[in-house]
Amino acid sequence: MSELKTSAAIEQKSVWLERLLFGFRPLWFVAFAVLTAFLAWHASMVRPEASFTKMIPTNHEFIQNYFKHQRDLAGMGNVVRIAVETTEGDIFSAEYQRVLRDVTDEVFFISGVNRSGLRSVWTPNVRWSEVTEEGFVGGPVIPDTWDESEQSLEQLRSNILRSGELGNLVASNFKSALIFVPLNEIDPDTGEALNYADFSEKLETLIRDKYESDTIKIHITGFAKVIGDLIEGAEQVAMFFLIAIVITLLMLYWYSRCWRSSFTVLVCSIIAVVWQLGIIELIGSGINPYSMLVPFLVFAIGVSHGVQIINAIGNNRFAGFDNLASARLAFRGLYIAGLTALVSDAIGFTTLMVIDIKVIQELAIAASIGVAVVVLTNLGLLPIIMSYVGISPSGRRYAEKSHNETHSILAFFSNFSKPKWAYPALAVAFVGLAWGLVYSADMKIGDLDAGAPELRPDSRYNLDNQFIVDNYSSSTDIFVVMAETEPGSCVAYQNLELMDQFSWHMQNTPGVQDVKSIVYVAKMGGFGLNEGNLKWFSLNRNQYVLNANTSRAPSGLVNPACSMAPIIIYLNDHKAETLKTVVASVQEFNANYQQQGLSLLMAAGNSGIEAATNSVIEQAQTKMLLWVYGVVIFLCLLTFRSIRTVACIILPLMLTTVMSQGLMAVLGIGVKVATLPVIALGVGIGVDYGIYIYTRMKEALEQGKHLDDAYMYALETTGKAVGFTGLTLAIGVATWMWSPIKFQADMGILLTFMFIWNMLGAMILIPALARFFANFTPARKG
Amino acid sequence: MIKATACHSVLLGLTLTLAPVVVAANDFDIITAPAMVAPLATKATLTEITQAGEQAIAVGDFGVIVRREAAGAWQQAAVPSSVYFTAVDFANAKHGWAVGHHGVIVHSTDGGATWQTQLDGFALIDLQITAFEQRLIDLQQQLDSGELDDDTLMVVEEQLMSVEFLLDNARFAKEEGPTRPFLDVIALSEDIVIAVGAYGTAVRSTDGGASWQVLDAQINNPSEFHFNALATDGTALYLAGEQGLLFKSDDQGASFYEIEPPYSGSYFGLFVDTQRRLWAFGLRGNVFYSDDQGASFAQVRLSNRVNINAAADAYDGGVYLVGNAGMVAHIDATGVVQEINHPSGATLTDVLVMPDQSLTLVGQQGVLTMPAMAQK
Repeated sequence: MSELKTSAAIEQKSVWLERLLFGFRPLWFVAFAVLTAFLAWHASMVRPEASFTKMIPTNHEFIQNYFKHQRDLAGMGNVVRIAVETTEGDIFSAEYQRVLRDVTDEVFFISGVNRSGLRSVWTPNVRWSEVTEEGFVGGPVIPDTWDESEQSLEQLRSNILRSGELGNLVASNFKSALIFVPLNEIDPDTGEALNYADFSEKLETLIRDKYESDTIKIHITGFAKVIGDLIEGAEQVAMFFLIAIVITLLMLYWYSRCWRSSFTVLVCSIIAVVWQLGIIELIGSGINPYSMLVPFLVFAIGVSHGVQIINAIGNNRFAGFDNLASARLAFRGLYIAGLTALVSDAIGFTTLMVIDIKVIQELAIAASIGVAVVVLTNLGLLPIIMSYVGISPSGRRYAEKSHNETHSILAFFSNFSKPKWAYPALAVAFVGLAWGLVYSADMKIGDLDAGAPELRPDSRYNLDNQFIVDNYSSSTDIFVVMAETEPGSCVAYQNLELMDQFSWHMQNTPGVQDVKSIVYVAKMGGFGLNEGNLKWFSLNRNQYVLNANTSRAPSGLVNPACSMAPIIIYLNDHKAETLKTVVASVQEFNANYQQQGLSLLMAAGNSGIEAATNSVIEQAQTKMLLWVYGVVIFLCLLTFRSIRTVACIILPLMLTTVMSQGLMAVLGIGVKVATLPVIALGVGIGVDYGIYIYTRMKEALEQGKHLDDAYMYALETTGKAVGFTGLTLAIGVATWMWSPIKFQADMGILLTFMFIWNMLGAMILIPALARFFANFTPARKG
Repeated sequence: MIKATACHSVLLGLTLTLAPVVVAANDFDIITAPAMVAPLATKATLTEITQAGEQAIAVGDFGVIVRREAAGAWQQAAVPSSVYFTAVDFANAKHGWAVGHHGVIVHSTDGGATWQTQLDGFALIDLQITAFEQRLIDLQQQLDSGELDDDTLMVVEEQLMSVEFLLDNARFAKEEGPTRPFLDVIALSEDIVIAVGAYGTAVRSTDGGASWQVLDAQINNPSEFHFNALATDGTALYLAGEQGLLFKSDDQGASFYEIEPPYSGSYFGLFVDTQRRLWAFGLRGNVFYSDDQGASFAQVRLSNRVNINAAADAYDGGVYLVGNAGMVAHIDATGVVQEINHPSGATLTDVLVMPDQSLTLVGQQGVLTMPAMAQK
């Protein structure tokens, strides 16, 4: 073994940054350790959060209107429905009724339940009524003389029919009954906010686990349950992270055959994640189901840059430098490329800030912080550690071996700079582009699945939801228009009259199932207080009559100041098309009808908020693409100063963008809060590959090499690392496909596709395009 | 058990004054706003369905008037008002009237394709004020003449008081706006039309609706109960209402006199079948019929005690009755009752029997259908 060249031999050409880093190695080591300990402590305090207001475009007109009346709308829609189903016979059996009574009692005592609003066949507020010669007659649905006898059951059946609850609290097939559980978002006694995770957990243990049996099935739906399931699902993400770490470690070893460097890369990347989480916590932010993607990205980006370093160190060691000199040379050779790539990543992420939705902006900030952190940990800390531990003998042997032979995969890719392969590749890309363009025309905005789109269509929750939608009349897709009036005028005749016309207008809008508001109560009051004569199902100009007719209104249909009445529009679904039609229909009405002192404002309810989100996303989609590509093209022009080069790098990225849009349409993934950022992330990271490869090609071309040789040179120097990077990034996010949370799975699928496709695009289309331009433009010889 | 009584708020209105409603120029006005074109017009709450020649015509909420040719699809007619229509009647295939809330009467001369407003509540109130003032003058003249015997004097004084009461109400309504819906209409011919409604409102036209005479003060209804229904057997005209009100007219509605009611609850409908049998029905499953032009009545017992709203001739000489909570009953010529429910459970307010004996029903859920009832 010959004498290794030491650090002193390379001191001359060192740069100040390198000297700063390697001149004080122990100091840096301690500083990194202290910082890591400090940030780890903070990272441990990061709370998962599912803040509703952060997921919506708070500056949108609809949301502003909603915020104005949020207090009066609280509780509306925040309802849990529990269906108790019998699989044997029907609900008119003593055993079934006993279970239904016990479940009702159990729910009554769960904290968070608005007890006075609780409704079931077994609560005293559920009554039947009838008009007789003397007026209204009625009583509780459960007969006063209840004794579980056949006679009692028969009486119950007849009371249910008279109560009008068929389809509401009792399924029309008499196979199940519903418990309607309104929630207090703020506990009136303690003033504490409802703990969704805890509440959802109690529903599972106290209701489902306890009462479900061979003959009794429990179905639970409602916003609180969705949030509970989401938080529970999000916790599983930690497990995906572990899986990603293990797979990455194996890949690193496969790549380097050196446990020392594999672990170093892994540890540095994990440190980057810890720092990122710690900083998030320090700036007062939390981690939400959307920004949960960021640690995966940071980890994957860390690993891919780490690989470049150990790759270079291995080469230097092979060239005969000692550990410290190898690390220093690796840093010297890579810090500019690394910084450029990371800066372009960060800027790519930052363009997401143009989208006015808090979770996306937080994701942009978190990702930018993460990338900045990777600069320190994997360009700074990693070479320092490697300068101590060095490459293991087995790793050195592997590096030596692979240096001496051209890998068959590289040989394969090197073909693409030759016309015989380049033109068919371009033709295939063109077909792919056409495919993407055709299908991306079908790409939809918003959520496409029924039920809770956050969860998978076959999740327990969505199956329960389907059961309730199938058996009961109420839709769960609710669009609320707020009728705003002068204080005290919410049931003024003129206002109610226009609200009635509005309800009829909406009723006639495609996609609308039903419309309910105080107007319906007023008309039903006219019907009921006039001996059940339907010819009085109407509004009366006499305000005293109207006041009497609306006096039995359930709470929430007018606010305490009587200045706002929600008009609740039940929709068939929450597809973007449906929501658009509804919004346009409301606008059309407002343009054609008016009443001084009355404004019909959009929008609250889950569908109203989704309509606002969709409109922001639809506008942001193009804006975001323009920004991302604008920034990336600008950076490339700055670096390469050649439109032809920029075209070589950008066109494959555009192909990936178009094809992922086509893929979204084919897979039924809508453009929404979760998937919108993915394209920006994909472009931001994807451009790295192009930059690395073209930098090397340019280097070789400037030395006067032939295009084929230039590309072979690029493949040998960075090609392997690019391929490895693409795979590592893809695997880091691919585990998400198994997330119980639908949008995380969607993010996982799209990012995996984009990372792999961008990598292939860079390694196949860049040389092919370069060949194409070389042959058809006279400027440079090919 | 809880009990609550229906309220008559017009009395409340008398003791309290309301600030007049300020209506801005381009605000929505339900009386004059043309009915919205509605794809789901047949799903609006509909109140009555009638035959005009070969057509079926139904009316209801939001100014909806829909018509259907013998075997065609339903079409919505152009209607110049958006009020809730409560009744429709055609004198023949071309001429018909629909009446509704806010005192609106609309008229068609083309079989229901287009409609023109003939009267609205504001005009009605003016007519009422003029009529009641004239009536007061007439009564005062009778009193002042000094020719009345003591009995007549008492009657006239009583009438005077009740007309003063009507006039006060009408003047108050002038400020408040029309609050009295029409509840039924009958077209005895192309010229003679009578419409009746809430709190004893009754108007009659002898010139096809060009002008209307107010009948309120001529019909003995001191408690201002609602007039709910009209029917004719070709010679006599009947009027029924709230709290057992039952009147008969032998002069095509120019004047009405009371007849002995079989029931003191509210009637929601009157019907004369092909056998010239008079049916009266209403609250809580109460059904009566008379074969002697209202001189005596017999009762039909129904097991389902829901409101009965309308009747129609069945093809077997019997009748169909419909009512609240999806109630449909068939009574054959011999009095055998068969009761079933429409599966919707919706309140049904009228029925038309089709030539194939199937039923076209209207009510809370708009137009519904039902196959012919199996004969027992």
